[in-house]
Amino acid sequence: MKYAPPFQRTNGFLPVLIVFVILLLAPFVVTETYSRHTLIIVFIYAVLASNWDLSLGYGGIVNFAHLGFFAIGLYTYAIFAKVIGIDPWLALLLTPLFAVGFAILLAIPILRLEGIYVILVTIAATQLLQQIVVSQSTYTGGTSGMVLLPRLTIGDYNLSSDNRIGYYYVALGLMAASTFFLYKLERSAVGRAIKALRDNKYYAISRGVSEARTRLLTLSLSAIFPALAGGFYGSYLRVASPDVFGLGFLTTALSVLLLGGVATIWGSLIAAFVVVGLSQLLADYGAWRNISIALVIIGVVVVYPGGLYAALQEIWSGFDRAKTNLIAAFRRKAGAADRARAMGIRDQLIETSHGKVSVCDTRSGEQTIIFIHGNSSCKEAFRHQFHALRDQYRLVAFDLPGHGVSPNADPEKDYNLAAYAQIVRDLVDRLKLGTPVVFGWSLGGYVALEYAAAGNPISALAICGTSPVRTYPDDIPKGYIASPHMELAGKRFHSPFEKGQYAKHTIGLPKQSEPILWQAVWRTDGQAREQAFAKLKTTNWQRQMRVIREGSVPFTMINGSKDPFINHTYCASPEFNTAASGKPITLDGVGHATFLEGPEGFNAVFRRFIQQQ
Amino acid sequence: MGFEAFTFILMSGILLGGLYALMATGLAVVWTTLGVFNFAHGAFVTLGAYMAWQVSQSVAGGFGFLIAVATSVTVMFCLGFVLHFALIKPFERNQNVVLLAVVSTLAAASIIENAVLLNWGPRDKQIAPPITSKIDFFGASINTFDFVILGIALFALFGLALFLRRTTVGRTLRAAAQNREAAELMGLNVPKLFAITLGLSAATAALAGVFVGSLRFINPTFGADPLMKSLIVVILGGVARFTSPIYAAFVVGIVESFSAYFLGLYWSPALLFAMMIAVLLIKPEGLFGHRSKTL
Amino acid sequence: MTEPLLELRGLSGGYPPVSVFRDVSLSVKQGEHVGLFGPNGHGKTTLLKTIAGVLDPWDGGIYFEGKRLNAVGKMQARVSHNLNYDLFRKRRINALDVVDAGLIYVMQGNLLFPEMTVEEVLDIAPRAARNRPGVAQMRRQIHDLFPRLRERWTSKIRYLSGGERQMVSIAVGLLAMPRLLMLDEPTLGLSPKLRIELSEAVRNIRETGVPLIIVDQNVEFLTSLVDRLILFDHGTITREIPAENMPKHAELMDMMFGGAH
Repeated sequence: MKYAPPFQRTNGFLPVLIVFVILLLAPFVVTETYSRHTLIIVFIYAVLASNWDLSLGYGGIVNFAHLGFFAIGLYTYAIFAKVIGIDPWLALLLTPLFAVGFAILLAIPILRLEGIYVILVTIAATQLLQQIVVSQSTYTGGTSGMVLLPRLTIGDYNLSSDNRIGYYYVALGLMAASTFFLYKLERSAVGRAIKALRDNKYYAISRGVSEARTRLLTLSLSAIFPALAGGFYGSYLRVASPDVFGLGFLTTALSVLLLGGVATIWGSLIAAFVVVGLSQLLADYGAWRNISIALVIIGVVVVYPGGLYAALQEIWSGFDRAKTNLIAAFRRKAGAADRARAMGIRDQLIETSHGKVSVCDTRSGEQTIIFIHGNSSCKEAFRHQFHALRDQYRLVAFDLPGHGVSPNADPEKDYNLAAYAQIVRDLVDRLKLGTPVVFGWSLGGYVALEYAAAGNPISALAICGTSPVRTYPDDIPKGYIASPHMELAGKRFHSPFEKGQYAKHTIGLPKQSEPILWQAVWRTDGQAREQAFAKLKTTNWQRQMRVIREGSVPFTMINGSKDPFINHTYCASPEFNTAASGKPITLDGVGHATFLEGPEGFNAVFRRFIQQQ
Repeated sequence: MGFEAFTFILMSGILLGGLYALMATGLAVVWTTLGVFNFAHGAFVTLGAYMAWQVSQSVAGGFGFLIAVATSVTVMFCLGFVLHFALIKPFERNQNVVLLAVVSTLAAASIIENAVLLNWGPRDKQIAPPITSKIDFFGASINTFDFVILGIALFALFGLALFLRRTTVGRTLRAAAQNREAAELMGLNVPKLFAITLGLSAATAALAGVFVGSLRFINPTFGADPLMKSLIVVILGGVARFTSPIYAAFVVGIVESFSAYFLGLYWSPALLFAMMIAVLLIKPEGLFGHRSKTL
Repeated sequence: MTEPLLELRGLSGGYPPVSVFRDVSLSVKQGEHVGLFGPNGHGKTTLLKTIAGVLDPWDGGIYFEGKRLNAVGKMQARVSHNLNYDLFRKRRINALDVVDAGLIYVMQGNLLFPEMTVEEVLDIAPRAARNRPGVAQMRRQIHDLFPRLRERWTSKIRYLSGGERQMVSIAVGLLAMPRLLMLDEPTLGLSPKLRIELSEAVRNIRETGVPLIIVDQNVEFLTSLVDRLILFDHGTITREIPAENMPKHAELMDMMFGGAH
């Protein structure tokens, strides 16, 4: 299940709202005609490129006839409004009809084709269209085109009066509507089918996505707004000429698309401002303008194929990492007292082979218990255990790199199960922990299993909120209840709403009572989430299962009955029960964090498990 | 329509076919080897023609024409060789290489076109043909030079085929085209071979450009038409064999000259594009081939 | 003490950002025949491709006859996911150098050059070794090793059977005058009859003294050919078994999977 919160609850909403309001108010500042004209052209290219992205980026259909939709919109408007003489607004609304008709015709030959052939057919189709337009000079004006097309008017008000303010708002409205349409479409069932077909065609077909229908839909849907933009362009410039079939238009639209980044709606919108702005700036330089734009395109394609939007995301990601790291550094000092109160002991930074981690160690006791927290959490999750068990045992808990007050680490190398397990091993060596009992919660459960599977010293193993995995990824949907919130666990950027949702479901207790844990969700390095989940597939799951099956290490599962993620039936399957462990223990009335929500019950069960060994 | 007119149209179609074959083979060789479509091919034709024009301006006569051809072909070979490293090699390991190459070669075409415009201006030019005599061919009076062009074009294609089939370098080139990784493991310098391929393609484009330039007027944007025609030819013929686009080129040339006579100038490109789409619908691998690409 | 022919020291690699094998150390002596065995998808082929110079090693060293083939130092982690690193970063190993050194890799399930004839392929095969002595003799030897190929001399590779293709692949490898030959799953997808024929040929190559590294899924085929068996699991060498106690198929399965399968 794809996690798709409504737009007003994702990260993008605020920036988009701000930009939209700025554009709404812009005409009050930008009063001269030329600047407004530039902005109108920007909006038209933004519509063209972002809709092109639907077929090219999301659908993987490299449709070079996209400008044909625009041209059809333009000529439909010209013919209906001028030659036939119907109301310009009506003519504008008719444009998508013809463009979609062309899209359907176009879809037929390319249904069977792949890759470069799609490019060639669509180019040929555009050429064919151009030949038809040029040859029908009675209706289309032939090579010289049509001039003095009717303007759009509201009553008697001419939209281009008052320095084209009317056209400005129509263009802005067109862009907003197109963007809203694309945003909704991308997240709809159709949008997912389109993307699925691009990413893994045969798998998508086997899951019931019709290739022919989806391709047809992709092309038709991507034709609607370009046609409107074409009609609008005709009403605005009052000219329809075969120039729209030329390389100039194509190159500009394509450079907007590629500079923005493929398969992002927002990228095209941003790049439209850059490219059209640049090309207006250089308007006086003629051939040099085209050369410099072409050089920019080659530069982008060669050096940074991701485009502007990807660059923005990377900058944001870097900012996010720096921010979370700063928060961690700040809290290491400022929150030390609070944490010491919660845990009953001060934490210390210890160097390991995968970066520095913040460790709480009670230092006294024969038998050691190591606690490993879960994704986007911190060691303070185990504060009740630190108070209840410290008289009997030596307790060690630590913040994984990128979590809690540990600094961020190298995303590629340090954010994965094997690295986390190696950190546990390093701590065992450095702090001389002997053969510890290892307890892992959620993601930490896999770390604990991985630690045991790698043959490290261990006397008993307990996991909580973790389903053992026999084969990846088949067992993930079996071991867990599919919910949108599972998706959050591997997501790099959370919006505040998503962070709240994630904290609520994993911690199970309100913010007032668990401030440190809630803060930890905000602090976690997004890359740690993303990388740890992306690299689950490289884990040696069979080795972990061998630990459970062979029963060489005493093993148990302690789950909460109200855990929103765990599939209890799966966990109870006899494969995971060994003579040493018996059935998984289920604690009533508690959720994902059993040890936090019902510490008394958990501690009793946990103590019994350790004492049995 | 008399026999004379028929012969004339047929001969002009065959001449066109020879030129298209030269251009389309260059395009097809790059497509089968590098796996990308070179949209700068038309611009190569333009640039080749202009360079030859420049040389033929300073050295007149038949000898000058030869020098012009040689210069243009050599320079374009070098340019193609270099452009491979700028336009295609940087992202050859990217999975979107086909799309990226379309974009980078389109941009390169735009650069070449505008550079030509800056350097030589927008006015039409023509390379003076070295032979102006006409001969009588089955009643039709045809330029002797047309036969020379046809002969050279076919000879160049034959030479290229021989190079690819018989010489060791040509064979390694085909090997690199067919299985890049295996060629690398065999110790072949694949990037260099690919660059040679693009160079050869640019050289044939230049040769075609010189011929077109001596038959018609040239201007900075005239390469778009040869590009489109080569595209049609490559699709019509397929790329299964070295000869597939050559056959298709003659079909296209003849169809074009007859349709121009019967249907008029406007409709003959439309007919060709319609033909191309029909072929793609019915036999996507091309008229003269099976579903594979090779050199 | 003889210096090892091929030595891997703590080699790691993969397809960035996915690490496929880690910290692999291995040495092959002159005249030794080594088998590599492990489950599919655990990095054997990736390891061989890295040694052959097709993929960049991440860390560690590849030494052949004492000479280091790859660049010194670790491959730097990618900071950006969108920047075209092929443009800025030099390859850390060059396939041409590897082939020049005489370390030859024969790919698995190889289509080779589908549209070229056997003759053409074998004509260009010794490109890398054309200055080395013995190429002409090796050319003659190919005929004896693979008599079947002589019948198919002018056929295109695409019309050959899987076994014949494999023979061409191995012949191409031999014509490069290998000092060490790495065969990747030579019996993949072959019929039993062809497998016997092929293993005969490999045995003959073995007799000529060319050191071999063979990867194969067929335990009997592998154990009958090699002096040493290396078990490869999840991207690391898990065990080395000398020739004296070469295991049976069932024993090997038990070693690898411990009854988990």
